[in-house]
Amino acid sequence: MSVLDRLAPELITGAPLLVMQGIAKRYGPVVALEDVAATVWPGEVLGIVGESGSGKSTLLRMMNLEDTPDTGTYTLALPEVAGNLFDLDRFARRQLCARRIGIVYQNPHQGLLMGHSSSGNVAERLLVAGERRFATLRARAREALDVSEFPLNRMDDPPRLLSGGMQQRVQLAKAIALEPALLLLDEPTTGLDVSVQALVLDTLKRLQRDRAITMVIVSHDLGVIRTMADRVMVMRRGRVVEEGLVDQVFQDPQHPYTQELVHAKL
Amino acid sequence: MSLSNLTRPWAAFSYGFLDPSAKREIRRKMIKAIAVPGCQIPYASREVPIARGWGTGGLQVTLTLIKPASVVKVIDQGADDSVNAASIRRFLSRVSGAGETWDTLAATIVQSRHRIPEERLRDDQVLVLQVPNPEPLRPVQPNMSIARQMHADADYGRLWLVLYEQMVRSGRIMQGAAYPALVNGRHVMTPSPIPRWDVPKLNMARHLTFLSAGREKRLYAVPPFTRVEPLVFSDVPYKVEDHTRLTCHRSGLTGVFMNEIPQAAGGSVFEASDSHLGIKAIRRAEGDAAEIGPLWYQNGEFRG
Amino acid sequence: MAYVATRGGERAIEQAERLYREQLGTIDAARVQGLRDALPWLIDRVMGEASLYDADLAALALAQAGGDLYEAVLLLRAWRTTQPRIAIAAPVLQEDLFTHRRISAAFKDIPGGQILGPTLDYAHRLLATDVLGGADFVPVPVTPAPQAAPAQQPSLAAWQKAMGLVADPPRAEVATDDIPDVTREPLLFPAARAHSLQSLARADTGGVLALGYAAMRGYGNAHPTVNELRLAEAEVMVRHPSGVSFSAGRVKVSQAEVTSKGKSGQLELGFCATFGWNEVKVIAGATLDLNAGGAEKGSAVEEEFVLYHTEPVESSGFCIHFKLPHYVTFQSALDAMRGAAVADPAKEEVPA
Repeated sequence: MSVLDRLAPELITGAPLLVMQGIAKRYGPVVALEDVAATVWPGEVLGIVGESGSGKSTLLRMMNLEDTPDTGTYTLALPEVAGNLFDLDRFARRQLCARRIGIVYQNPHQGLLMGHSSSGNVAERLLVAGERRFATLRARAREALDVSEFPLNRMDDPPRLLSGGMQQRVQLAKAIALEPALLLLDEPTTGLDVSVQALVLDTLKRLQRDRAITMVIVSHDLGVIRTMADRVMVMRRGRVVEEGLVDQVFQDPQHPYTQELVHAKL
Repeated sequence: MSLSNLTRPWAAFSYGFLDPSAKREIRRKMIKAIAVPGCQIPYASREVPIARGWGTGGLQVTLTLIKPASVVKVIDQGADDSVNAASIRRFLSRVSGAGETWDTLAATIVQSRHRIPEERLRDDQVLVLQVPNPEPLRPVQPNMSIARQMHADADYGRLWLVLYEQMVRSGRIMQGAAYPALVNGRHVMTPSPIPRWDVPKLNMARHLTFLSAGREKRLYAVPPFTRVEPLVFSDVPYKVEDHTRLTCHRSGLTGVFMNEIPQAAGGSVFEASDSHLGIKAIRRAEGDAAEIGPLWYQNGEFRG
Repeated sequence: MAYVATRGGERAIEQAERLYREQLGTIDAARVQGLRDALPWLIDRVMGEASLYDADLAALALAQAGGDLYEAVLLLRAWRTTQPRIAIAAPVLQEDLFTHRRISAAFKDIPGGQILGPTLDYAHRLLATDVLGGADFVPVPVTPAPQAAPAQQPSLAAWQKAMGLVADPPRAEVATDDIPDVTREPLLFPAARAHSLQSLARADTGGVLALGYAAMRGYGNAHPTVNELRLAEAEVMVRHPSGVSFSAGRVKVSQAEVTSKGKSGQLELGFCATFGWNEVKVIAGATLDLNAGGAEKGSAVEEEFVLYHTEPVESSGFCIHFKLPHYVTFQSALDAMRGAAVADPAKEEVPA
C-alpha cells in the first residue's frame, strides 16, 4: 500500500481508532495539558512533536493508561471496551494495556526487566495475556524478535548485556508480540547513535508498512517525525498549536512556533 | 469480697501457652484465611518459647486449635523423632495436655515441616504446615508491600517468566520444593517447602490445611475441596520427584517419597521419608498388627 | 490410644540441653542480683530489645542464657507474650522527663543548658589490669555541682518549631487507648507512625547500628546532626478504672533527635526512643528514621527494609534455623538437577 493510497479520502472518512477529547491536567499550579484533543485512524501514524515540557510524553502516558487527566475522555474503537477508558478500573486497564496497547519507552529500563532474558521479556507479555503453552511462547517470542530484526542468537541474553539499539528492538518485540491495536513510541530512538537510529527507524518503518500497525510516535526530533508519521501534532506548553499532514505542516508551517521549529531544524 | 476471690489465681502461663487475646486474634485470621483460600493474612505473630524460623508460625496455629482431647503428630522432613519435631511435640503436650502420636491415622492435628504424610488425611484431621517464607513472589519481588499489590492485581507474569527461563536454560522446570500453586483459581501461594511429590495432596483434599509463617507474620489456608494447581505450561506436564521406582532399604516400601543415603562405597540407598509409615511397614512384615491407611499414591500414581 | 515413645532424637535433645545448662551451673537469686548490679547498661539494652521493662527479669534472662543476648531477648519476649495488657500508660512528653543527661551538637548552648550526666565519652579507655592482680578499681567519688541542674528540661525541637526552623507536621490525634500496638498487630507498610517507632524501640542494637552507620557513611540521603540526646527517667502514668491517674513507677528511657536540612528549606527531624539507656541505638535509630522519608523502595534506609531486618528475634531465629535439616528440599532440588543433566538444552524447536 503506498502512502498515497493510505491518505485516500475514503480511509480518512472511516471511523477513527483513537479519540481523545478535552484532556486537561495540572500538577499544582503547573499546567501539563490544556484542552488537548487527538484522533488516530486505523493504520495511521500520528507524530507528536514538541520540546521537553510540552506535554507530549504525558499525553502518550495517558494513551497507555498509565496516567489519568483531570478532565477529558479517551475511547478506543475495540469490541471489548466501550465508553471513557479513564473510567475503567485498575484491573480492566491492565488487561486492556497488556492485550491491546504496545509501548516502547525512550529508557529501556522502564519497559524491560533488564536481568531476565530478552525472549523472556517478550514471553512475559504473552503470559500476562494468558498464553500457557511453552512451545507457543517460545515460537511467538522468537517471531516477534525476528520481525524486530533482533539477532536471534542472542535472544536468551538479558537486555543489560545488550547495546542500546538492541534493547530498543527487544522493547519493540515485546510491544508487538500480541499484535496490538495501538503501538505507542516515546522517543524510541533518542539517545542512540545516528547510524543505529536510522536502522531502528528502518525496522519501525518496515513493520508499519507490512502490518499497517496504528502508531503514535512522540519525538522532539522533526527528522524522526518526518520519516515515520503521516500526520503531526505540534505541542507547546500543554496545548496543540498546529496539526495536519506531515508534508503540509513542515512545508508550510502556520503557527509561529512551528515555523521556528522547522527553521531551526533546516 | 476481695481481689483474690474475684479473680482466678495467677498462673505463669495460660492454657495452650498463648493468652486469650492472642488466640482470639489468630482464630479470626484463620477464619479469614479459610474464607479467602491461598490469600496471605497478616497476623501479629507473638513470640513463643522457640526461636523464630523453627516453626513458630505452625506452633501458634496449633496452639490455637489444640484442646485436651487433641492428638498431635509433629514431623520434620517426614520424621517424628527429628530433634525439632520432638521438641515441638513435647512442648505442645506440656502446655495443653493433648495426646502425642507418631501415627498419622491417630492424629487430629498434624504439624509438619517440609512434608505431608503419605497416608491420606481425613476430613476430621487438620494439617498445619510450617512456612519459612510465605511469599511466592519473593524471588521476583523482595519488597513485601509491592508483592501484596501484585497479589491484589493477580499479577503473576513474573512467576511464569521464571518457569519459562528454566525451560529455556535447562530444558525442564527446575523448581525443586516449594512449588508455587494457584489456589481456587485466584491466589498463587507457596505450599511451604514440601517436595513437588506432596503438592497434589493439597488439591481437592478432604482435610483442612493451614500454612503459617511466624517470623514473616502471615498465615493462609487451603480449605477442604479447594483447587490447588501448580503453575505449569499446558504442554509441559507437572513432574513430581522421580521416586516411584525406588525401594526403601529398611522397610521395603515403594512408591513413596524417599531420603537418599549416600554410601561410602559409592551410590546411594533410599529410605522412606515418612518415617512412621516405614516403621509400620516393618512391624507388619514382622507380623504385628500395624494399620496402614490408604495412601495418596498407589503404584507410583497419584490417586488423591 | 496414642502411641508415644522416646527415641534417639528426644534423648539427644534432652542431653544436649543438659550439657549446655551444666556449663552454666546453678542459677540462684544472688547470681541474678549480681548481674543486675554489675551490668546496668547490658540490662538496659536487653530490656529495650525485649520491650519489657523489668531489670530483675532481664537479669534472670541473661543468667539463664549465659549472656547470649539473642537468647535472653527471646526468653523475655516469649514470657511477655503471655502477659495480659492491663493498662495503657499516658504518653510521655519531653519536658516532663527527669533528665540525667542532655546534649545537643547543633548549638553551643541550648535553652535549659547542656547536661553532661554520666558518660565515658571523654574517658581514656584504659583496661584496669591491676584488678586482676588483686588491686581493686575504686571509682573516685563525684563532687556535686554547687547548683543542681533542673530535673526537667524544655524540648529543643519545640523552640525550633516556634522559631520556624523545623517543620511541624500535622499530628494525628489518637486516644491513648487506641495507639496502635505492634506487639498485637502485624507490621504492614507504609507503617503507622506508632508501629515504626515501636519497632525501632525494640530493634536489635547491633542491626540498627549497622544500617544506621551505612546511612551515616553515605548510603543514606541525609547527614545527621544530633539535635538533642537524652538519658532520662519517665513517670509511667496509668489510669485506675475509677478514673484516678497514678504513677506506676519510673522507667529509664533514652531518646535521640537528629536533624538535617530538608528539601522544604526547613530542618527535618528523625526520632528514636527506647527503654533503658542506649545511646548508640537511639542515635542510629533516629538517623534511620530521618532517612526513611522518601527513601527508594528496597534501599537499605527504606523503612520496610530497616524494620524487617533489625528485628532481633526474627533475624537471629532465621539465621540459626539453617542448622535444621533441609534434606527433603535438598532431595527435591537434586531430582530437578539430575533431570536437567539429561535434557538437551541445544535441542530447540523450529518456529512454526
